[in-house]
Amino acid sequence: MQTLDVNYMLGLIPVLIGYVPLTLGMALASMAFALVLSSLLAVERVLRIPVLDQAVMLFISFFRGTPLLVQLFLFYYGLPQLVSFLAQINGVTAAIMGLTLHFSAYMAESIRAAIIGVDRSQWEASMAVGMTRGQMLRRIVLPQASRVAAPTLVNYFIDMIKSTSLAFTLGVTELMGATQKEAAGSFLYFESFIVVAVIYWVMVEALSYGQRLLEQRMEKAYAR
Amino acid sequence: MLRAFAIAAVAAVSLDTMAQAQDTATLKVGMSGGYFPFTFVKQDKLQGFEVDVMNAVGAETGLKVEYVTMSFSGLVGALSSGRIDTIANQITITPEREAAFAFTQPYVYDGAQVVVKKGNETTITGPEDLKGRTVAVNLGSNFEQLLRELPYADEINIKTYESNIEQDTALGRVDAFVMDRVSSAQVIQKSPLPLALAGQPFSEIHNALPFRDDEAGRALRDQVDAALTKLKADGTLAKISQTWFASDITSAK
Repeated sequence: MQTLDVNYMLGLIPVLIGYVPLTLGMALASMAFALVLSSLLAVERVLRIPVLDQAVMLFISFFRGTPLLVQLFLFYYGLPQLVSFLAQINGVTAAIMGLTLHFSAYMAESIRAAIIGVDRSQWEASMAVGMTRGQMLRRIVLPQASRVAAPTLVNYFIDMIKSTSLAFTLGVTELMGATQKEAAGSFLYFESFIVVAVIYWVMVEALSYGQRLLEQRMEKAYAR
Repeated sequence: MLRAFAIAAVAAVSLDTMAQAQDTATLKVGMSGGYFPFTFVKQDKLQGFEVDVMNAVGAETGLKVEYVTMSFSGLVGALSSGRIDTIANQITITPEREAAFAFTQPYVYDGAQVVVKKGNETTITGPEDLKGRTVAVNLGSNFEQLLRELPYADEINIKTYESNIEQDTALGRVDAFVMDRVSSAQVIQKSPLPLALAGQPFSEIHNALPFRDDEAGRALRDQVDAALTKLKADGTLAKISQTWFASDITSAK
């Protein structure tokens, strides 16, 4: 049993915090793309457009049915062998692509559930005032659905932040990769990994606090 | 909200996908950044014997040295695909590698070493004692090859790792690891891990810088090789070696 090297830990904190922007940046970029993609997928699943519907179902099935790590390796190491220009993509881009596609599959399902959850009377009222289906979705249904979907989407975002740690397997020195290197150089494994665990934890807790504020704001319109 | 997301996303991606201009005057050097004391990171600073050698090569040739760190097993693929120009990570010259790459002259002369948990060096005194035991090596390393080529290799349970073989040996999860002698000695001296050298080095290894075996690669190799010749002659390499190992590992015994 060795004693903890507290000085080393204190010295490591600022170094690792320097990697927080990259980790958050990858998660934010993936989340932005995933919000757009999953909304499109969800709307399609509600409208059930022939042929496209089968394709979307296949997409969701594949990206929910395979591990994220397998998908990342497929993009970064596998596909460039088939399509040579893909060798140009760097690890960060591959990670953002992988996270976007993977989480879109999940998010599409929860957005779809939220859309279906909007009361039928709302749909009928939109139709009655002569809106097209597109107008109805855009103006009436999606705004109400987003309130229902918001908590789950924030949960996916939290999951995404933690999943960026897999990017180190694609040679990206992000938060986890930087920690691995520091640990391999100092041989102080416990100190290194406990520091990085706390940094992730603080990030996610800060987000959860933001989530509570967001929910309170969204509920205001519905206060009775 | 969504608009802010989109702006963040576009900014993040455009930062990453900026086409990296292929400047002929740069030398992209790949290393793992996790092989103490050859290439390692402390307080975010990449350092080690390899870094000092490559900086000296850069100064000598006038090439701008740019370091790219990635997992050890990914380095060879990155060299083949042109993501990097050479690997400074104690790459041992082997017939298979010579067939695929253009090597410089050796700049490190070293040996393969068995390392065990402190206290076990009396029971395991060399590679023969590895029969029936579990041994850790770095995935894709020459030491993995060396172990597999032993006549009794089928009696050894070889476990390949991306990193941290020292830690798993110290924790007793494996009976030994095989690495090069000089860095093994440094790890035992400088790290808090309870490890010991088991017997003498069992195979002589010569380490050099591999380049792609095409016209541009060979031209670059010749440039770097000439620099190595000069750095050996003027004692620069010996001096760098003394700093890290307190001995000269850069000339043939």
